[in-house]
Amino acid sequence: MVKQTYLHDKHVVLGAKMVDFALWHMPVQYTSIIEEHKTVRENVGVFDVSHMGEVFISGKDATEFLNKVVPQSIDRLPYEKAVYCQLTKENGGLIDDLIIYKTGIESYLIICNASRVDEDINWLSLNAKGLDVKIDNQSHNYSLLAIQGPKAIDLMRKMGYDIQEQKSFTIKSATIEGLKLLVSRTGYTGEDGFEILVENDLSEFLWDKILEKGQEFGIKPIGLGARDTLRLEAGLHLYGNDLNETTTPIEAGLSWSIPKDKTQNYNGKDVILNQIQNGVEKKLIGFEMLDRNIPRHEYEIYFKGEKVGEVTSGGVAPTAGKNIGMGYVKNLPEICTDSIIQVMIREKLHDAKVVKRPFVQKRNRV
Amino acid sequence: MSYKDEMYCTKSHEYVVKEDGKYVIGLTDYAIEQLGDIVFLELPSVGDEFEKGETFANIESVKAASEIYMPISGKIVEINEELPDAPEKLNEDCYEGGWLVKIESDAQESEFDDLLTYDDYKSELE
Repeated sequence: MVKQTYLHDKHVVLGAKMVDFALWHMPVQYTSIIEEHKTVRENVGVFDVSHMGEVFISGKDATEFLNKVVPQSIDRLPYEKAVYCQLTKENGGLIDDLIIYKTGIESYLIICNASRVDEDINWLSLNAKGLDVKIDNQSHNYSLLAIQGPKAIDLMRKMGYDIQEQKSFTIKSATIEGLKLLVSRTGYTGEDGFEILVENDLSEFLWDKILEKGQEFGIKPIGLGARDTLRLEAGLHLYGNDLNETTTPIEAGLSWSIPKDKTQNYNGKDVILNQIQNGVEKKLIGFEMLDRNIPRHEYEIYFKGEKVGEVTSGGVAPTAGKNIGMGYVKNLPEICTDSIIQVMIREKLHDAKVVKRPFVQKRNRV
Repeated sequence: MSYKDEMYCTKSHEYVVKEDGKYVIGLTDYAIEQLGDIVFLELPSVGDEFEKGETFANIESVKAASEIYMPISGKIVEINEELPDAPEKLNEDCYEGGWLVKIESDAQESEFDDLLTYDDYKSELE
């Protein structure tokens, strides 16, 4: 059955085109994906991302438990800090990618992909055997609103946000429009911004206030279409496209997120450390097309006449003004930055150049 | 008279309208509206010949790639040359300024049997 967020009717009234995404009926665009994309890069946009999962982890063994299921060092995570993590399997493949927030002593919040909530809960439960830990899936009780863009901080202040300084990748309890809410300085757009956790019953009130107070900053509601072009330009992975149960964090170019000195064991540690030391069979690359053609999910990638991989995410990059993509290719040393590869589009090969990610630079403002 | 009064539409959202002995072919406003921001257009070459129903052009919006089919058979005699370099213009006008190709055709009347007037096309969508 397709689910609706508590803001569903708001989207319909705003004239959004609605689509089914990860079993949720979600707005893909309100006016134009390109216009919405530019609004977030230049001003500020608000996203309803209530489809995402919220799972609270607590109990005497919570830290030990999380340390066992992700490669990141959860025992070193300070209070109110967030860390980008992956739920790894024994073979190094990924159940999901997620953000873990430390909200108290032996108490954490996980925000995970809508499409993976059930798998994540199953996997976490399986790994919790014998440990004193409570896995509390609260996804159905919370809405999540993202305010993203260079003017996000101005809008937050306008709404009464009372925190003097909040660094990127932290979560704090803040007052906004008179409500005490959990606010994290995170996002999925490559821009500065905030994600606000709000109980379902208050989400409509908050959504309306954001649009009302945001008017002077040029705010627009932003659909999933622009969310995808924004994250792709920012070089951020999408689970299901760029990550899945057969891709490891090392293959996915996420080595930066893996501590090399973590002493505790975690699922897939042997495979991951081995790949760090001895290399990988395939690797994720970013590329830009050298003509007007648009690379898309599952198109084939060629190098010197040989099929070497497939596009996992691709499309237009409205801010970069290019057509860009990411994909896994055979790990040949000749395929590196500035190499020319080809993408098969409508039975013809089109040149593309391997480039570094992100495709646009993040401009953070405190 | 505008194209909308005289054109015929396919269920796959192409239109065809007779003008000065040729047929003008394009995509309906409904199709453009559904596609959203148009970012790519590939047109055939003058002289190419196509059967009714054959793919003669490709269009892409931010969201997706689609094929465009011939509403009737014919030979390309003119293409809207500026469009492939500025496909976003289709979002403003897909008729008088945003037609795709002009063809010469000696299509039998039967090729028009499954085409709809714009009014009938619109009511079929509802």
